[in-house]
Amino acid sequence: MNEVLLSNQVIVYLLSESTLFFLLLVAFIVSLRVLIKWDFESFTPLQFSLEKQAYLVTTITLFVFAMKFLLILYFIFSIDTLSLLVPGAMCGAGVIEANDYGSFLLILKLIILFFLTLWLYINAYDMHTKNHQWFKEKSWLFSFIFLLIIVELGLDFSYFSNIDTHLPVSCCSALFGQLEGANPLPFGLSIPLLLVLFYLLYALVILALKTNQTLLYIISNILFVYIAYYAVVYFFGTYVYQLPTHKCPFCMLQAEYAYVGYVLWASLFVGTYMGIADAISTLWLKQNHTKSQKNVGYLLSFFVLLCSAYVAVYYFKNGVLL
Amino acid sequence: MSGDMMIQIENLNRTFAHAGNEVKVLQDINLTIQKGECVILKGVSGSGKTTLLSLMAGLDKPSSGKVLIEGEPISKLPDAFASELRAKKIGMIFQHFNLFEHLSVAENVTIPLIPSGMKMKEIHSKVERSLTLANIIHKKEILASRLSGGEKQRTAIGRALVANPDIILCDEPTANLDRDNSLLFIDILKELHSMGKTIVVATHDPLFDNLSFESRVIPMVDGKIV
Repeated sequence: MNEVLLSNQVIVYLLSESTLFFLLLVAFIVSLRVLIKWDFESFTPLQFSLEKQAYLVTTITLFVFAMKFLLILYFIFSIDTLSLLVPGAMCGAGVIEANDYGSFLLILKLIILFFLTLWLYINAYDMHTKNHQWFKEKSWLFSFIFLLIIVELGLDFSYFSNIDTHLPVSCCSALFGQLEGANPLPFGLSIPLLLVLFYLLYALVILALKTNQTLLYIISNILFVYIAYYAVVYFFGTYVYQLPTHKCPFCMLQAEYAYVGYVLWASLFVGTYMGIADAISTLWLKQNHTKSQKNVGYLLSFFVLLCSAYVAVYYFKNGVLL
Repeated sequence: MSGDMMIQIENLNRTFAHAGNEVKVLQDINLTIQKGECVILKGVSGSGKTTLLSLMAGLDKPSSGKVLIEGEPISKLPDAFASELRAKKIGMIFQHFNLFEHLSVAENVTIPLIPSGMKMKEIHSKVERSLTLANIIHKKEILASRLSGGEKQRTAIGRALVANPDIILCDEPTANLDRDNSLLFIDILKELHSMGKTIVVATHDPLFDNLSFESRVIPMVDGKIV
């Protein structure tokens, strides 16, 4: 059997994902039945029974979704640990690129996480109405997420069962560092321009947040997360590693760097996801913004401050920039 | 009596699953209670009185049918809204008092007002008024565990009244009281009735058969109003 499938982390991860999938499958079957027969205005035994089942589905879904947020962290931790088994890999970056499924799986997980956040917002709105006004919207969204999760589970198994521990993979410096002179940054940006864009977009997000410009808020948030990824990998990350040639989004997740990658990426993605999900749900449901907007501002500000702090601390210690 | 409807119940049913069987605890209940009315639900144990009170309070959900409080259907309210409704409109008095034994009388009565976000000064004034009305003000600093049955019941009355609810629901309120204390309880009920409160009492105590104030007795047998 594949050595990877016998590692503790992968067994725990795949078992957890499968268990959660089974719970979601039950919730999905029940929710389809509820969705088809739902009529909140009715006071019949069927409708009362459906309402109890809907409550059960919501409870299961909330639990599973909370677990999924934790499991993505565990997934990253697992692939990072697998770098010890896969020749050539120095961190999760090499392991992710060990076959064709890895990158696609990681991107799919991030997409699912976004839709889960959106579902949480719609659910929160629904639970604050007397007549479950948004029940159908959140149920359809749940069905869509479930379909994505089916693909995710298939990819999970395909990915881990197709990692060849005898085949060397590229390490992160090969993947992100030496690109034979090619500019890896988007839109042909240089590092100084990338940084200007990074801080400008952050300011735009905060401005849109303060002035309640929902559409601007969504666009600036999407652009910010995109630019922030490159800014971390190609600039701020080098200060985390204190090495100008070390460019990697994964190594900072290791104990050697105090696991700061978890804090950095979590504050960026949670902040952005909350911001976009809040904005989309307010547009979709035509509701007022939730109080979580403030937290979005705090999270993104924390992310920007943390990134900037690494540069500032390095400069004050050494008197030069990398 | 104003003639306005306070509680309206339409085709209410409640069934429980027990050992694979369906037990019908309430069957096709239709009932209208006016504002300021005092209604006595009379029936032996197991006749469905407590279940009916729980449904009126939004503590339980029916299997089918409607409960409306001042025209608003409450049988489907999500928990947060049902709690809000109870906190504002309904005071409950239970057979076993349901007091916190390690808290004083005044503290027990204060508890329902804590989530309201009122200022402490206002809370104190409401608690004092409620304890006076329930005739237990002289024991306000005493721990609930040190009270007699009658005093515990009066504390429970104080707690039910502290938010000045329109509806008072009492579940076997005199079952653990001696005759003198039961009569005292009925006197307090009379005073509440004169204040215009809507009162529903579930009991099998014969003392409620001929009250000295206007009331309506509704007999219940096997989950039905007869």
